[in-house]
Amino acid sequence: MSDLAPILDRRVVFVTGKGGVGKTTVCAALGLWAARAGLRTIVTETSGARHLPGLFGKRSAGYAPVELAPGLSTLSITPEEAIEEYIVQQVKVRKIYELVFRNRVMGPFMDAVPGLHDAVQLGKVFDLQRETTAFGRRVWDLVIVDAPATGHGLTLLGAARSMMELTRRGPLHENNRIVDEVLSDPALTALLLVSLPEEMPVNETLELVARLGPHEARIQACVLNQLLPGLLDHPEDLALVRRSLPDSAPAALHEALDLAEDWQARVERQERCRETLQAGLPVPVLPFPHRLQAPLGPEDLDALSRLLEQALSGEAA
Amino acid sequence: MSAQVVVCCGSGGVGKTTVSAALALKWALAGKRVAVLTIDPARRLADSLDIGALDNQPRRVPLEQLDPACTGRLDAMMLDAKDTFDAMVRRLARSPENAQRILDHRYYRFASSRLGGSHEYMAMERLFTLWQEGDYDLIVLDTPPTRHALDFLRAPQRMAGLMDQGVLRWLVMPATKGGWRALELGSEVVAKALKRVLGQGTVGEIADFFEVFRDLWEGFRERSEDVDGLLRSDRTRFFLVSTPSPTAREDARYFVEVLAERQLPFAGFLVNRTVAPPVHPSVPDAGLPLDLDLAPERAEAVRAALQRVHALRRGLAEDHAASIAVLTEGAPASAACWTVPEQPTDLHDLAALAGLSPHLPEAPEG
Repeated sequence: MSDLAPILDRRVVFVTGKGGVGKTTVCAALGLWAARAGLRTIVTETSGARHLPGLFGKRSAGYAPVELAPGLSTLSITPEEAIEEYIVQQVKVRKIYELVFRNRVMGPFMDAVPGLHDAVQLGKVFDLQRETTAFGRRVWDLVIVDAPATGHGLTLLGAARSMMELTRRGPLHENNRIVDEVLSDPALTALLLVSLPEEMPVNETLELVARLGPHEARIQACVLNQLLPGLLDHPEDLALVRRSLPDSAPAALHEALDLAEDWQARVERQERCRETLQAGLPVPVLPFPHRLQAPLGPEDLDALSRLLEQALSGEAA
Repeated sequence: MSAQVVVCCGSGGVGKTTVSAALALKWALAGKRVAVLTIDPARRLADSLDIGALDNQPRRVPLEQLDPACTGRLDAMMLDAKDTFDAMVRRLARSPENAQRILDHRYYRFASSRLGGSHEYMAMERLFTLWQEGDYDLIVLDTPPTRHALDFLRAPQRMAGLMDQGVLRWLVMPATKGGWRALELGSEVVAKALKRVLGQGTVGEIADFFEVFRDLWEGFRERSEDVDGLLRSDRTRFFLVSTPSPTAREDARYFVEVLAERQLPFAGFLVNRTVAPPVHPSVPDAGLPLDLDLAPERAEAVRAALQRVHALRRGLAEDHAASIAVLTEGAPASAACWTVPEQPTDLHDLAALAGLSPHLPEAPEG
């Protein structure tokens, strides 16, 4: 599969960024591209989020995979279900899980193991990328993780390592060592950042990159979402109109001119944000257009997936 | 009279921190003594409040810049979970030596600073100490994003559950000398299963941690119940911060259900970044009524752009109105709705933050 673009040749891609920047949309676009490239792809939402199926007009089946489009599926991981699955894997007998771990004594105990929730969610991601059919074929060629909002996303990325340090030995340590080995390997995993062309999200993205440390090498690109299109090829004409528009002109025209000037000012601020972001990042910044009309349809997702493909398959061998 | 508590919930990216600060500022300018506690390390918030830094200690916001005669006051702080946790351990431990044993414990250091989960509980703890100090009329709390805010609401009960006598018996008794022996004797199946999942060493260490922590249990438990009581009392109200975007809206609706389920007092929606329709329903379609020194096709481009920007604005405002209608339908009758207009830029100073005041609710009385 050496002809795959650098981001599609991994086992797992983590999509991360501040809340509300459009991570789920980017996951959908990336997933559609991967599926088109012939990869059996699954997008996982975490901490019980279930936003993705709705984008494709489907209903979530929670922890069970649901097909969104040919070659593209999704599931929603909850810590509770991931813990249950992990324990049943370890003790082999579901009955024991039900007897021992599902009672009111052990519930709070498992809750109290610091970081266990994140570690088991990451463990589920690991399981998905490793899962094979009875014939030894991989069930999923690519796992895309719709990671939680920035701060917590970092916690999730480091969850296996944290659990190793906490436990130092034993089965939890050993299992997390295996997870960490794969999910920290830049050859096997990639990070895709998502940001918005506004001051605060851009600063937070740059801070995130600074805090990533050794993970920085895994960043493939940063999607800059919601860029407004310019109104005019010659925006300076607005100023000209402003100067010559008489007070006696219809008030509606004055208002429209105000709106147009606001728009243009925003376009320029966004451009400055884009420059700041690009100057601070070692990877390409990929502009995604603003959705001027609210709901995102299947054609929009398809168009975004082609945008990603165009931008990221450039350096493919 | 004890302070009133206002909790601002909502999903990530809706501007919760800014709205919380704007609420606190409005009420302080109206003469109240207000504290705002934020969870996010938002440096820009410190800038816009005109204070050097935000940390676990209250910092006085210079309201006199806006109103020299202001009788209210505003303190802002940012949660430091570890600092708060440490302070709680010192307060609840029977002796300074015991406190130190806990603070030095490896598990404690993990739980208090490095891993998720403790943040939510510590936000509650910090809120409660502020409330007890009794120096405020109002305390505004900015919370972690939605799904985590769920943990945050569960935190007091979860802690109480952990401190349950049953857990004590199961975990601490066996932790004495012989490691996990008592449990092994009591129930071999349980011990085996636990060891297989967590490992003997880990089980032992956790049990040891509980043993060290035992000193705090009673205080911890009482505290959890007090916090839970405060959240359910008539001193507290919850606001839900959202935006008209469908994703934020669906998160908000989900949150309304959770508040109802937990019987927590819901006061209303604050819908941030709402776009108002243009005042004039349309732009005259004729050419521009002016004599411009502009090539005809460029004048035509400007004319078309004005039409387009006006139509987009109207469409967006209609979408927002429809979205807000969906958001509020089915909400309890007591829930009001405020719309906060979209700001052209980030809010950089106190005056800009105060500019949101007309769109926000009045300070709760009582």
